[in-house]
Amino acid sequence: MAVYVLRRILLLVPVLIGVSLVSFGLLQLVPGDPALILAGEEASEEVLIRIRQEYGLNRPLPVQFLSYLRHAVVGDLGISIQSRQPVATLLGQRYPFTLKLAFLAILVSATLGVVAGIVAATRRNSPLDLAALLGSLVGISLPIFWLGLLAILVFSVKLRWLPSGGAGTFAHLILPALVLGAASSAVIARTTRASMLEVLRQDYVRTARAKGLSDRLVVYRHALGNAMIPILTVFGLEFGYNLGGAVLTETVFSLPGVGRLIVEGIFARDYPVVQGALLIVATTFVLVNLLTDVAYAYFDPRIHYN
Amino acid sequence: MRRIVALWLGAILVVGGLGAIHSVVAQAPVAGGTLTFAAGADPDSLDPQNTQSNPGEQVNRMMYENLVRFNAKMQIEPGLAESWTQSADGLVWTFKLRKGVRFHDGTPFDAKAVKYFFDRVLGDEKPFKASLYTPFVQGAQVVDDQTVRVTLKQPFAAFLFRLAHSAGGIVSPAAHQKWGKDLTLHPVGTGPFKFAEWVKSDRVMLERNDAYWGGRPLLDRVAVKTVREDSARVLMLEAGDADLILNIPPEDIPRLRKDPRFAVDSIATARALYVVINVKKKPFDDVRVRQALNLAVNREAIVKSLFQGNAEAISGIVAPLQNGFAKLPGYAFDPKKAKELLAQAGVPALKVKLWSPKGRYVKDFELAQAVQQDLAAVGVEAALTTMEWGAYLSATKTGPEQTDRELFLLGWSPSTGEAQWGMFPLLHSSQLAPKGDNRGFFVSKALDDAIDKATTATSEQTRLGALREAQQIVIKDAPAIFLISPNMIVGASKKVHGVVNLPLELTYLTEKSWKEK
Repeated sequence: MAVYVLRRILLLVPVLIGVSLVSFGLLQLVPGDPALILAGEEASEEVLIRIRQEYGLNRPLPVQFLSYLRHAVVGDLGISIQSRQPVATLLGQRYPFTLKLAFLAILVSATLGVVAGIVAATRRNSPLDLAALLGSLVGISLPIFWLGLLAILVFSVKLRWLPSGGAGTFAHLILPALVLGAASSAVIARTTRASMLEVLRQDYVRTARAKGLSDRLVVYRHALGNAMIPILTVFGLEFGYNLGGAVLTETVFSLPGVGRLIVEGIFARDYPVVQGALLIVATTFVLVNLLTDVAYAYFDPRIHYN
Repeated sequence: MRRIVALWLGAILVVGGLGAIHSVVAQAPVAGGTLTFAAGADPDSLDPQNTQSNPGEQVNRMMYENLVRFNAKMQIEPGLAESWTQSADGLVWTFKLRKGVRFHDGTPFDAKAVKYFFDRVLGDEKPFKASLYTPFVQGAQVVDDQTVRVTLKQPFAAFLFRLAHSAGGIVSPAAHQKWGKDLTLHPVGTGPFKFAEWVKSDRVMLERNDAYWGGRPLLDRVAVKTVREDSARVLMLEAGDADLILNIPPEDIPRLRKDPRFAVDSIATARALYVVINVKKKPFDDVRVRQALNLAVNREAIVKSLFQGNAEAISGIVAPLQNGFAKLPGYAFDPKKAKELLAQAGVPALKVKLWSPKGRYVKDFELAQAVQQDLAAVGVEAALTTMEWGAYLSATKTGPEQTDRELFLLGWSPSTGEAQWGMFPLLHSSQLAPKGDNRGFFVSKALDDAIDKATTATSEQTRLGALREAQQIVIKDAPAIFLISPNMIVGASKKVHGVVNLPLELTYLTEKSWKEK
């Protein structure tokens, strides 16, 4: 197991080099000139030349890429063309924030999604099942953008319970986490229901029931463990996406997360920021996937990694 | 009878209005509190000589001060300089500086600090805004602690306007020596508020400068928040999480206006919006075609229906609030005459490319759609395309050989507030793209001469006369389809007082701004 984990972590190196290359290439393909965006319409030609020189934008592309890589290897992600702040500092400010939001959101969606899924599966075709299915359908279909604005309207403007946006206290995170969590809980609820239904049909569940075990024990102990594998997969994916920055949620609630950093970086053609942020996101994704794989083995002892 | 009713209504309105003014006056300002101000974008920089966007400039205006400044009517008034004189040949300007002013870091503000400012913009560092000064400023000399002499290479009529530009904010020399280009992260000026914290993309926090020469500011703190989403800003105001918000979406204005807690101001700006015409492309080299395009557009209808009155039709490229604007007749809406002109030019039916940004200016894309419809009515079929702003900036700035652009919507707000800078960068033959901002490649000797004359005028009369002549030429030659000047829309809680809205689309607070408890 330890060897497996180590090998997966070592695999990060080629993944990150690949991500750097792709993100660098894509950014170069996007039309637009960072110097022009930075200096604005009134800037003179000399100023534009000065900026291109200062940030090395006038060097041949392979040279730019290799120089970026050489610095990135030792942890120097460069400085933001737009704000002059070191990219590492920017990520240091944003990433903990995104992490907190993603954790809270997955907590919300796990609780909501798994409970709704189990209830729906065990009371199949009942009004509760219908409600859960309908609820998750609505959850999947609603644009998160709209849901967020609606939540602000109800909880901040009308009821005055929670702040309408921005960062600072724990209270600022509640609405975004609920909205983000609600959206992914829909997917989790559907997966849980399907997976549970399949497991509940199996012989060992019938055996457990025949032994006279309580319904609760059968569902939560015997069935849920085996139903967990597909649910975990969805968990991992949703969590990974949230960690990569929930751009829409961050925008609606004016949260300074990684997602907005990337999007704003792209609009400003702030190459170092976008590349640095994508490296972090890629690393996170790989680690979350690894964690998911390890969790498989925990829930299903038949799975071994050698 | 109707007239009498109208008179009565008028009288009631006036009395009601006076009542409202009276109640405002009666309220004594209170000190203290934090004012939260939500803008749509993060400052690009907090180093005034390197700042080029409004979100940055308006924060800088609270921290830094200039030798001279604009009043609300865009006229020049004393700032850090109490008075000034100009030599007869217009080449030497002497400024008397205000006494007893200190920067936030304790450095005294004196003639040396002003000389340092000029040395910096003229020197090798080449800050972004240097080009506002380098073409005509020779250098500055310290006469005594309170007196600075600035020598120009050529007379320059708009010199004071250049100094009042946000880029003329005087920086503490000690801070610039210490931080260099990273001054943007450690701004130090003489203004009523000093820098506390900048969390990128989230907020800039400013604190009251107790040592401010104009008296202790009333507000303790100003929090400038970045809230990208238009509706989110409105919701923040309604929830009481923001006291002041910018760029309210037009559809939210009526609702906010009805709410007694809020005041919504629609303020005319110095910005002109127009569709540039690439005069190098046939048939746009023919002035009759360009005039026809101008005659085809119904500006009044655009102002009324698209902007609900929150804009003004413009007849040339200079908006009415630019100093030096001349009121001249433009192109009235006349589709019949437009068709005649097109027929005369041999292009009764025409297919053109029309480009527009989306989201850069208020309702920019909708404006382009309105133009598209009006053009269709005179037989000009425009294919409308939009691009993301960064790409748009580059695509509209390439040289004549690298482009097939024809018509493209742009806006210009001369941040010096005067008409020389409203025309020179856009239409002077020395400013052709890709080097400059003359993106439609318009060249006219007569216009160059008029602009040059206005540039170097030593008397106000000559300056205004030459600017008027230049505007006449621009209207006649029609290097663009002139459209509108949009208003800026600012919403605030009625508890907030003393907000400054400069027509340069800058909203900021001063030592006199305050907030009811």
